[in-house]
Amino acid sequence: MLLSIQNLVVKYGSATALAITAPIEVEEGDRVGVIGSNGAGKTTLVKSILGIVPYQGTIKTELAPEQMAVHMQFNEYTDNMPVKYVMEAILDTEIAKDKRLQELIEFFEFQDCLKKKYSKLSGGQKQRFTIIMVMMQDAPLTFYDEVTSGLDFETRQKLVEKLVEWYRGKDASFMMVSHYYEELDQLADKLLILDKGRVVDYGRREELFRKYCGRAVIVMDNTPENDILMRGVERMVSPKHLIAISCDSEEKERELTRVLLQNNVNYRRSNNDIEMLYINAKEAGSGSGAFPAGTASEIGRCGDER
Amino acid sequence: MKDKRRMFSGRMLLFEFRNVIGNPYVHIFGVGMPVLMMVIITRAVVGEIPDAELLASMTTSVFLGIGALIPMATIFMGYGIAHAQELEKGIPQRMELFGIGVRLSLCSRIVSEVIFMAIAFSIYFAAGFVIADVKTPKASGAALYAVCILALSVMLFCLAHAIACMLRKFSLVYCVTMLLYFAMMILGGMMGISFDNMPSVMQAAAKLLPVTYINRDFGGIWVGESYNFMPMLQSYLLMGAVAGILLFVAVRRDSRRLH
Repeated sequence: MLLSIQNLVVKYGSATALAITAPIEVEEGDRVGVIGSNGAGKTTLVKSILGIVPYQGTIKTELAPEQMAVHMQFNEYTDNMPVKYVMEAILDTEIAKDKRLQELIEFFEFQDCLKKKYSKLSGGQKQRFTIIMVMMQDAPLTFYDEVTSGLDFETRQKLVEKLVEWYRGKDASFMMVSHYYEELDQLADKLLILDKGRVVDYGRREELFRKYCGRAVIVMDNTPENDILMRGVERMVSPKHLIAISCDSEEKERELTRVLLQNNVNYRRSNNDIEMLYINAKEAGSGSGAFPAGTASEIGRCGDER
Repeated sequence: MKDKRRMFSGRMLLFEFRNVIGNPYVHIFGVGMPVLMMVIITRAVVGEIPDAELLASMTTSVFLGIGALIPMATIFMGYGIAHAQELEKGIPQRMELFGIGVRLSLCSRIVSEVIFMAIAFSIYFAAGFVIADVKTPKASGAALYAVCILALSVMLFCLAHAIACMLRKFSLVYCVTMLLYFAMMILGGMMGISFDNMPSVMQAAAKLLPVTYINRDFGGIWVGESYNFMPMLQSYLLMGAVAGILLFVAVRRDSRRLH
């Protein structure tokens, strides 16, 4: 086990920013996506694990602090010199003599930025600069806190592709805080769902999906026609512009898709939709401080009265 | 990655030195300003003192006194303000998260500051011996001056670091260090009022500051005259104790709680 958290409480003044009771354990090789709305306590959790905010409770790890790498939400460096020198000082190496670092710089297409000062880098270049150094640490556990925030769609996609490629076949663990579920879709195999400083649930993605969404989810636009068509069908919690139906069995899914095809309705089918999973998990169990029990058939459902 | 226990790294030293010379403040106030003040004040002295021997003594005394401005400007003001700016941006914490510990950072920075100060002093002395009629020192006098300036620099560094860590905000740190800088200049007798002409309250405060002794007494020590070092030593011990305590509190308060 790499990391274990239990009975963790972080307070900012009199306000409780984070209160975790049930144990959270991160094993070797885990890729944990940390999700939750603003103020859920995601960054506070990362900071408490890193020991940079005061906390009460237990955080156990056999890793030394320098064995945990972190890409914070905001990373700043001195602007008194080109980033090349900052990188060499932090990594205690010389780019010209370090093959692995050269490969990483090439991998992240950062060669042309080395002579620039930090403030002259674009948002994406700044993120890549820190990522290169974080990856050079080759830490058993790495934290990525909103690594793609503020980047345009294309840059974000590119960066995530690079991360996916980098971690392919490696057994390093990470915890990634993100608001972009499609990123976690590609990167995370476990999810930690936080809401208002409390853990809604934690576990493997597929298990959580089954728990809160069932076997599969069918999602369509919430148009008046679709609303009429789905009258009488039990719905899941979903964003207002969508109708989401959980399918517990293959038969139910087949029957539903038949109806949709018959009526020429556009729909999307998923068995790992993190957004649906998050919304329904939050609805089902937020604020309990412990992981809620139950299955998709027992929780997170809304009927026609909604 | 770096070992947090390490206290010295050549690459970190080079990094911190680049950081120091990248700060324009230290060039203006740490190098340009002392040279300019030395030129102006020694020129002013020339016109008022007809006796050549007395003039050389006065010039030497003024020259050595103004030299104390170099660590005050480069280290106390320059480092204090630069560190506050870095703290506001979270740079020291970012460095620590990369495994670069406080000890390594502080040691690299202090050595870099001292190297920069040595360069600043070289320029200052070169200008002094060319422009002003500065007396040739006795080896002991020059060595004592170097030791006193070095000790003052280390204490000022500790003070600047502690003030920046405690106040954290650039504007506050700027205000406090600037006030203390001018207070030290005034009480040290560098702003026109000599120690003897100060009111007794000011004299009592001035006696607690090493700069007072550097500015007032080093003209004689420089040329090997006998001197009672006890009051100066006491002022160093007091300032050292204050700086040490503040630094300890500041570093301890900022330290990470590690598992």
